[in-house]
Amino acid sequence: MVTEKDPRRITALLAVLVAAAALALGLAACGGGGGGGNGGETTVAEGGEAKGDLTISNWPGYIDPGKNGTIAEFEEKTGVKVDYIEDINSNDTFFGKLQPQLEQGQSGGRSIFVVADYMAQQMHDLGYLQEIEHDDLPTVFENILPDLKSPAFDPERRFSVPWQGGMTGIWVDTSKAPEIKSVNDLFDPKYKGKVTMLDELRETPALVMLAEGVDPAKASADQWLAAIDKIKAAADSGQIRRFTGNDYTEDLTAGNIVAAIGWSGDASLIENPNAEWRMPTEGCVRWSENMVIPVGAPNTPAAIAFMNFVYRPEVAADITGYVEYISPVEGVKEILEKEGSDLAKSEIVFPTEEFTRNCTGQNTPPELDRVNEAWQNVLTG
Amino acid sequence: MRSWSKRLVPYWLLGPGLLWLLFFFVVPMYFMGELALYSGSLTSGGFEFTWAWSNFPDSLSGHTEQIFRSIFYAGTATVLCLLIGYPLAYAIAFRAGRFKTLLLFAVIAPFFTTYLIRTIAWKTILSDDSPVVSVLQTLSLTPADGRVLATSGAVIAGLTYNFLPFMILPLYANLERLDLGLIEAAKDLYSDSRTAFLKVTLPLTMPGIVAGVLLTFIPAFGDYVNAQLLGGTGQAMIGNVIQSLYLAQRDYPEAAALSFLMMALILAIVLAYIRFAGTEAFMGEEEEREA
Repeated sequence: MVTEKDPRRITALLAVLVAAAALALGLAACGGGGGGGNGGETTVAEGGEAKGDLTISNWPGYIDPGKNGTIAEFEEKTGVKVDYIEDINSNDTFFGKLQPQLEQGQSGGRSIFVVADYMAQQMHDLGYLQEIEHDDLPTVFENILPDLKSPAFDPERRFSVPWQGGMTGIWVDTSKAPEIKSVNDLFDPKYKGKVTMLDELRETPALVMLAEGVDPAKASADQWLAAIDKIKAAADSGQIRRFTGNDYTEDLTAGNIVAAIGWSGDASLIENPNAEWRMPTEGCVRWSENMVIPVGAPNTPAAIAFMNFVYRPEVAADITGYVEYISPVEGVKEILEKEGSDLAKSEIVFPTEEFTRNCTGQNTPPELDRVNEAWQNVLTG
Repeated sequence: MRSWSKRLVPYWLLGPGLLWLLFFFVVPMYFMGELALYSGSLTSGGFEFTWAWSNFPDSLSGHTEQIFRSIFYAGTATVLCLLIGYPLAYAIAFRAGRFKTLLLFAVIAPFFTTYLIRTIAWKTILSDDSPVVSVLQTLSLTPADGRVLATSGAVIAGLTYNFLPFMILPLYANLERLDLGLIEAAKDLYSDSRTAFLKVTLPLTMPGIVAGVLLTFIPAFGDYVNAQLLGGTGQAMIGNVIQSLYLAQRDYPEAAALSFLMMALILAIVLAYIRFAGTEAFMGEEEEREA
């Protein structure tokens, strides 16, 4: 008798619990709905004296986090305790990870993200970023390179402060494939299964278009899709070994590949003396990444102090010495020259206009959703 | 009063488990189901609940290849796990003597290192210039292009390696309880070792095999780490597609719909399998006792 009743009672109990939980969660969801991010009103990050804790999200290898590194120096000078997390491996994936929290007006405890121009713009458009008063950023605006002062996506630098810039081109293992000079060479059957490409929509298909003489800045959706088709055919045939994020550096180190589409400043992550970054004959994709302050960021005074700190030329020179990307700060070259560093002569760290004359920016394709879907389908083919 | 509180005991005992299921299974399922019926996009005004059933067929289009590939990879890995795991579990249960505990510990030991690190370690072991791969090349055991990493074989091997303990442990637990007297009885009745194994040991360890197969196949089917780290182009599994839909395309509704369909598919496969393997094999002694 008892056994007959039990299942039904349990079901009833379960139903009551489900209903109660659903109601509670439904009410909670109502409170957070609508508006998103800062709820339609732009918030301005609060300045002031720097103290307390600061959490920064950045890409791997983008600063010296060690004992005598830049972070330690900042902590010592200001008394702020920094939690420096290297958890950004891709703009899209990082955004995807934090978007639900940003939508609720929270930043996951972080006060600074470092993201590409287009991602900073997208976050700003969705109301996920705070603006920063120029008066709070005196060191930044004193030392920022003039051509970075007014980018198209943020003409007055209201919500973004450049972190580092770089170029996307070709990494070549010169002991194995010294003759690779153009992105077109990567499609040579000779290198079948020995080539990787980045999984970034605005970089890999853009480079393929450049190599075919198409300007990515003016390309139609069909031209983007044609470039994506060409990459798909190469992936299907086994020409392309993998699509990667920062981890192409591991394949170059291990000797799994002879060439990769990759980023100009990654030398410190590649332990292979024969690896060399090359400007493709047809040009590169230039990009810059920005520090931004998300909505709900705790301790914004410390975040702003950090931005000013890394714009001191001597600090910026230390960062350049460690990461080998393009610094947004004036006077870095002179300091490195004085220190006798070879980097001061490097065209990759201090590119001349002549060197980058054929390069394009990070362009967002027309009909983004359709083009991106086609691209993602190639990546997960 | 006394009988009342006595009658409530089973509910109290069930309570924690039910609450767990409720908060970590029922509630998330509800939200995922709701999300699967939204439409819109994040960058153009957000998502809206519109009973968008079309998300379900849409999420399948263009991804059937990855679904079949996932079934094939997970299925092959499960069979390999069974072929490796059964003799091993058998040996540990009956032949290990005083090394039994040590061997069991060795099976579990890899869990002391995280799954991710162990998989990344395989990348180093199997890199193209590594000694392991050169030996395989000398023996002509690698595919035509002479590499192991970034091939289907690497993904299947990764799945097999990572899920092997899930096969061995239920098999061991089952074999351990096997009444050796039954095998002796079979031998007394003039059965040779092979027949005794096929007619006595194997049927009696079916519950362990079924449990092991389920514990291996289900997580292996949804896995995306092995394909991501050990695979190359053309080796993505359905887990990688769902990850891309969620994180790179931010098409949350379609990602939720696809997740739902995959759960339904797995459930169908499991039910068909249990039906084939027999419920008594799955439930084991439960049925015996009632009979």
